[in-house]
Amino acid sequence: MPETVTPESVLAELETILTEVIGDDLLLDGPLTMETSFDQDLQLESIEFVALSEKLLETYGEQVDFVGWLAEMELDDIIALTVGQLVDFVASNASSASSTSGREA
Amino acid sequence: MPIEEANGLKLHTQHLATGEGMPPVLMLHGLVIDNLSSWYYTIANPVAQVADVHLVDLRGHGRSEMPKTGYKVEDNVDDVVALLDRWGITEPVHLFGNSFGGVVSLALAHRHPDRVASLFLIEAHFAVEGWGEHMAGSLALAAFGLDEDAVQDWLAENADRKLSRLAKRSERFLTETTLIDDLQAEQPITWLPEIACPTYAMYGAETDIMDRALELQAKVPGCELEIVPGCSHSLLTEQSGLVRDRALAWLARVS
Repeated sequence: MPETVTPESVLAELETILTEVIGDDLLLDGPLTMETSFDQDLQLESIEFVALSEKLLETYGEQVDFVGWLAEMELDDIIALTVGQLVDFVASNASSASSTSGREA
Repeated sequence: MPIEEANGLKLHTQHLATGEGMPPVLMLHGLVIDNLSSWYYTIANPVAQVADVHLVDLRGHGRSEMPKTGYKVEDNVDDVVALLDRWGITEPVHLFGNSFGGVVSLALAHRHPDRVASLFLIEAHFAVEGWGEHMAGSLALAAFGLDEDAVQDWLAENADRKLSRLAKRSERFLTETTLIDDLQAEQPITWLPEIACPTYAMYGAETDIMDRALELQAKVPGCELEIVPGCSHSLLTEQSGLVRDRALAWLARVS
């Protein structure tokens, strides 16, 4: 896990991960912001969202409980997710996560 | 991305685990435009609070390899059993099957009764008399439609990124593999009375395959059938909250 986790650092990490997941197809009219939505703005395929969740888990460790977080949501909530909601969730949970877990490579 | 080598293929899988000693659940999705994300977005995460949930993109789907051949129900059963072996899961699993995933689940329970603890089926789509022609006919139409230059142009101009990527992948699936031929060769199921595990089946009242619902209820011993008013074949996404509640109640009863 990165040493200091802030909303800004998570946003930057998320942009890197999105580029990995989507590849050259990541076409944004402007910068990735907290208001950007995964479905409407990024046109993220649902299978790509699964990959994104997995990469965030690799980066921030299992104490960022995506499974529990998503379990609380209805389908419409997940489809309507914004970058900001995801960033805030990761930033607020990762700060209490173990510093020994994280990306291996 | 967790890629498992099983039955000679690279298959994309996801494992959602929240604790030790929970009963194993394996969820199987529908055909062509479907993949494991339909479970991930709906009931997989809630079910993972009480069970050890495994998801797989069946061959040709999602992020799994798309071989040229081998799309019969039995081939998919072989893939799934190879995955269970690879994961070292020897205790019987609770199989969740949506649409085509339902027929794979039924066939697995029939061929490997020792590997399956129960079946939770949503809009299970299995072979009855004339099934192969019906399924392959509608799929072939899509394949031919997508082959038309005009349709391709329209997609390029009008479809959003998501739709056009999915359309392209589906087109490749339908035109460059034996999927349609394999489905056409499927024989009607005659062994439903031999299913030995507890079975729960849900269908939408507006489904186009109500005959399957009634056949399951009539032939699978002890099968419990629930018809959900106002829903179509897309029951899983139309009523994900209800399906989640039924799935949790089902696991509480059978595990």
